[in-house]
Amino acid sequence: MIVPFSHVFMLAGALFFLGLVCIFARRNLIMTLIGIEIMMNAAAIAFVASAAHWHRLEGQAFVLFIIGVAATEVAVGLALVVAAHRRTGSVDPDRYDVLKW
Amino acid sequence: MTQTAHNDFIFLATAVSVWLPFAAFAVITIFTRKRPRLSAGLSIGSVTVSMVIAFSLLLRLWSVGHPIEYTSRWFQTGSFSLFFGFLLDPTSLLMFALVGMISFLVQIYSLGYMHGDPGFSRYYASQSLFAWSMLSLTVSASLLQLYIFWELVGLCSYLLIGFWYEKFSATQAGKKAFVMTRAGDTAFLLGALLLLLHLGNVSIMQMDAPAAANRLSPVLMTTCVLLIFGGIVGKSAQFPLLTWLPDAMEGPTPVSALLHSATMVAAGVFLFARLFPFFSHSSAAMTVCLAVGTLSMLMASTMAMVDRDIKKVWAYSTISQLGYMVMGLSAGSSFAGFFHLTTHATFKALLFLCSGVWIHYFETNDMYEIARKNGRSLKIPLVCTILAAASLSGLPPLSGYFSKESILSALLLEPNPLWFLAGLLGVFMTAYYAFRPVFIILFPREFDGKEREGNRGFVYWIMAWPLILLACLTVGLGFLKAPLGSFLHAAVPPERVWVLPASIGLGLFGVFLTWYEFGRRSASQIGFVERSPGVKTFFLKRWFLDDLYAYLLKKVIYRGFAELLTRNDRQVIDGGIEKLCDLTVESSGIFSRVQSGVLRFNLMVMFVVLTLVGLYFFVF
Repeated sequence: MIVPFSHVFMLAGALFFLGLVCIFARRNLIMTLIGIEIMMNAAAIAFVASAAHWHRLEGQAFVLFIIGVAATEVAVGLALVVAAHRRTGSVDPDRYDVLKW
Repeated sequence: MTQTAHNDFIFLATAVSVWLPFAAFAVITIFTRKRPRLSAGLSIGSVTVSMVIAFSLLLRLWSVGHPIEYTSRWFQTGSFSLFFGFLLDPTSLLMFALVGMISFLVQIYSLGYMHGDPGFSRYYASQSLFAWSMLSLTVSASLLQLYIFWELVGLCSYLLIGFWYEKFSATQAGKKAFVMTRAGDTAFLLGALLLLLHLGNVSIMQMDAPAAANRLSPVLMTTCVLLIFGGIVGKSAQFPLLTWLPDAMEGPTPVSALLHSATMVAAGVFLFARLFPFFSHSSAAMTVCLAVGTLSMLMASTMAMVDRDIKKVWAYSTISQLGYMVMGLSAGSSFAGFFHLTTHATFKALLFLCSGVWIHYFETNDMYEIARKNGRSLKIPLVCTILAAASLSGLPPLSGYFSKESILSALLLEPNPLWFLAGLLGVFMTAYYAFRPVFIILFPREFDGKEREGNRGFVYWIMAWPLILLACLTVGLGFLKAPLGSFLHAAVPPERVWVLPASIGLGLFGVFLTWYEFGRRSASQIGFVERSPGVKTFFLKRWFLDDLYAYLLKKVIYRGFAELLTRNDRQVIDGGIEKLCDLTVESSGIFSRVQSGVLRFNLMVMFVVLTLVGLYFFVF
């Protein structure tokens, strides 16, 4: 590998953490979806690095799955966001507190 | 079981006599409620058997010189064992026979009096229950056992006073009787417990033995005696617990005759006679008893002099005569008090039953009304009332004369002449209040004029025969004074020469005064006491004792004690729990703020926790 395996893993971790921060720190449902995308991509990078490190191709195959799932999920997620926006008139996740006691 | 040479037969006889009425009560209550005549038959049958056994025991054991005791252990806890049994000594045998006889006569009388009453079965059930409790009380072997039956007769009194329970005053009277006697019984229990602590678990025989005196210090002895006397005060309606007895006249007249003249209220005096050797160890306590008895006697006599209700007059008379008995006993002569108990039982029951005939026919308790409705046409009650009133006043040769004279002789033995003079004053007042109803009924003023005839049927005669029997006893019992004295092994007080003329003279003076005020054709029928309205009100209102008690109840108990407890209940207990609930709600409100409903924070927390878990497992 061109770069040490641990570096790629750390990159994946940092990306994951950034995705998480994106969910927490933004008050927009679309940004939540983007954060989820980032987290999935981070996982994909980790998979690719593992495949390169241990010379097994299953890692790369799994990344294809991840991309496919990500696409589906975004489609469904956006549909949900549109429906939610229609119901409450905003995309702020803080507005959806019906389960609060 | 401790027993003498007399075998199980006596024990069996006593047990049957005592428990048969209870069996009758059980059968009536469970099975024959709907069959009044069967209930009456059962009850009367059982009490007849009890009476016959009682009399045969009395005759059989007449010359046995020592008491017979049967005891057996009921239960045991640790080193303390509770024993129950029968104690048959002269006092208890005599009382046993007396209770049996009067119960029998009253139950026969009730066939007529309570005829047609819807609660007939319930009445006879209660009568049987009372017969059982009272008979057991008389032969109880230990103070604790006696206390149990003491309370039971109190219960029967409550049931029978409030018999016509639809009438509010009757239930009030029953409650008042029960609560007032309960107050006395608390003192009794305290005394019994003190004795239990210091003397151990002794029977009455052991208590009466001379050895008991040495084991208690004088102060303790006086305290115990006074506490037990407190129970007697409650049960025998002495001052200050005397106002329940006049109210108890709300019950049917046979009940008044049985319970509240002859047997239940006599249980207190009977206890005194029972424990007489024990009580006489403490002369201070005896003086207190003497004072209480004298005070009750005088107070009740004054109350009887002004009342219009004939049953109330006899009720006050009962309190007064019980005071006499207590005076006789406290003066040191157990024979005087006990003999007066037996004679009083006969003539007081007779007085009540005669009044009952009038009340049954004329449906009024007021003596002026009875007179107006031609009460004197019912001859048997009239004659019996005159006889009994004469006996009550202590006129010879009736039984009351002999017993009252022995009490006065006993009082003379006291160093202070005050007691004897009080006794003489009582004789005068007794004669006065006894003959006042007699003359009022004999010589009515406005006259309804109708001669009552045609009602001389079954009801009248079934009520009349007990009257005749009791009248014979009233006349004859006095002559048994010497035999009874030797039977009871008690010293008959020596008869002083000038007691006779004094008491007879005062009695006759009382009779003459009532004749002068009520009997003469031109008399105004207003007594000398009734002339001054202040005195009359004072006596009518029972010396304002009832008002005093109501005031004390209101101020001390309701406003003071009960108020305090209510406030404690509401503010401390209820308030405390409410505050606790509020606290829970508040804190849950605080904690629920964790659930902000904001999705991001939930996710954040989840992520933090998972990170920590991962750190814990994979790094450490």
